[in-house]
Amino acid sequence: MSVKYIPVQWNANKWFYDAIMLAGVAAFLWVFLHVTPDVLDHERAINPQIHNARAFGACAFVMLTVILCIGPLARLDRRFLPLLYNRRHFGVMTAFVALTHAGYILNWYFNFSSSDKYVGLLYANSSFGQLAGFPFEVFGIFSLICLLILATTSHDFWLKFLTPPVWKRLHYLIYASYFSVAAHISLGILQDQQNHVFTALFLGGAGAVIVLHLAAWWAERGEAAAAAKGDWVAVANASAFREGFAKITRLPNGDRVAVFLMEGQLSAIANACAHQNGPLGEGKIIDCLVTCPWHGFQYDVRSGRSPAPFTEKVPTYNLRLSGDTVEVDADANPPGTYVEPLTLPGAAPQGSEAPA
Amino acid sequence: MDIAQAIVMALQGWGIIGALVAAAFLTVGIDRIDEDARGAYIFRPLLIPGVLMIWPLVLWRWWRIETQAAPWAARYRPVRASYGLAVIAMSAGIIAIVIAGLSVRQTWPADAVPVQLSEGTDG
Repeated sequence: MSVKYIPVQWNANKWFYDAIMLAGVAAFLWVFLHVTPDVLDHERAINPQIHNARAFGACAFVMLTVILCIGPLARLDRRFLPLLYNRRHFGVMTAFVALTHAGYILNWYFNFSSSDKYVGLLYANSSFGQLAGFPFEVFGIFSLICLLILATTSHDFWLKFLTPPVWKRLHYLIYASYFSVAAHISLGILQDQQNHVFTALFLGGAGAVIVLHLAAWWAERGEAAAAAKGDWVAVANASAFREGFAKITRLPNGDRVAVFLMEGQLSAIANACAHQNGPLGEGKIIDCLVTCPWHGFQYDVRSGRSPAPFTEKVPTYNLRLSGDTVEVDADANPPGTYVEPLTLPGAAPQGSEAPA
Repeated sequence: MDIAQAIVMALQGWGIIGALVAAAFLTVGIDRIDEDARGAYIFRPLLIPGVLMIWPLVLWRWWRIETQAAPWAARYRPVRASYGLAVIAMSAGIIAIVIAGLSVRQTWPADAVPVQLSEGTDG
């Protein structure tokens, strides 16, 4: 959560996460380089540069595969949410590993001619008209550029500056990047593999990404359709709410509203966290504050404001009772607008004073 | 070679413009549009690579914030509709390229016994 920006907001969880990640990268590289030459059929590696290039390339693919599995896993099963928490550090590390792979390639295959090595990389193979022998390097270059864009725009400043929807659209490049990596491998190293272990690992990883993402997309499709157009939208029966938790409703314009029951009173805020548009309605209220399940940002559900000194705000919504049905006003209040909670029949309101 | 050189030169030009944008944005612009950045300087060098990569987007957002042209509600509208499209496109693309790659894969006669096709010249 921002007050003043600092380079990295470390905490114990992030140190732990990053330590495991770095240990995993080191272990992967060590196993690749020293334990499995026969298994992965790279015993014919000509020199250390090529051997290292293959190790870092394979490591980048595995890291990218894991990153792309975390999102749908967390959507399908909340127990994977802790892996989502610090995924950005994972992404930055992946970009560095991919950059190292590119460095080994560039400084070995293209470094000893009279022409510029970057020109050489683009010029060495121009057989764009055929599949066999296609210049697979272009897919690697494109994927690396995507990863660098994602890594260099991962600081929280970019989220606030670009806004979460623009930032998310930009970071959809991860899907183009992964396809491009698959093309880079399929038309590159896969053409030369005589041992099928690497082929099987590659197909298994890419297959897992495809299956998990399609499953997560399919599960989201099953959610309730948008409510009919109208000024007030039905949320649920008043007896259906559970203390400390929310019900999520889609408005006619596609926005989602999270309606929370807190101490016998209902309050409604936008379901999208101001940080990364995480699903606030899946969070739980503790001490009047709902915590975003993605990165822990907190908001007072009555005002949509983060507790001081933090400055994040989300829109709030007006509520009313129509018989036993709780309804929400389809027009949002500006972010941070205090709304008097709606007292449910038979409930004794506690502490409903407006914050100073 | 000409095209390759032109691409490299275009990328260098992109980087030079990006550096100019970064210099202006990180010394003047960022203080004007983000209160959380005022008085915070150590994190700014971290933003330079990002500005170099996406400087047109930076200029666009800078202008939108300065002119207050963006509706506030847009910030709270998650990108969900295009997720399915992105996933289906990625999945179909991967399946197609893997099949294409495997279909043109050639066997390498590494284990074939070498055959001398003609007499040597030494001797």
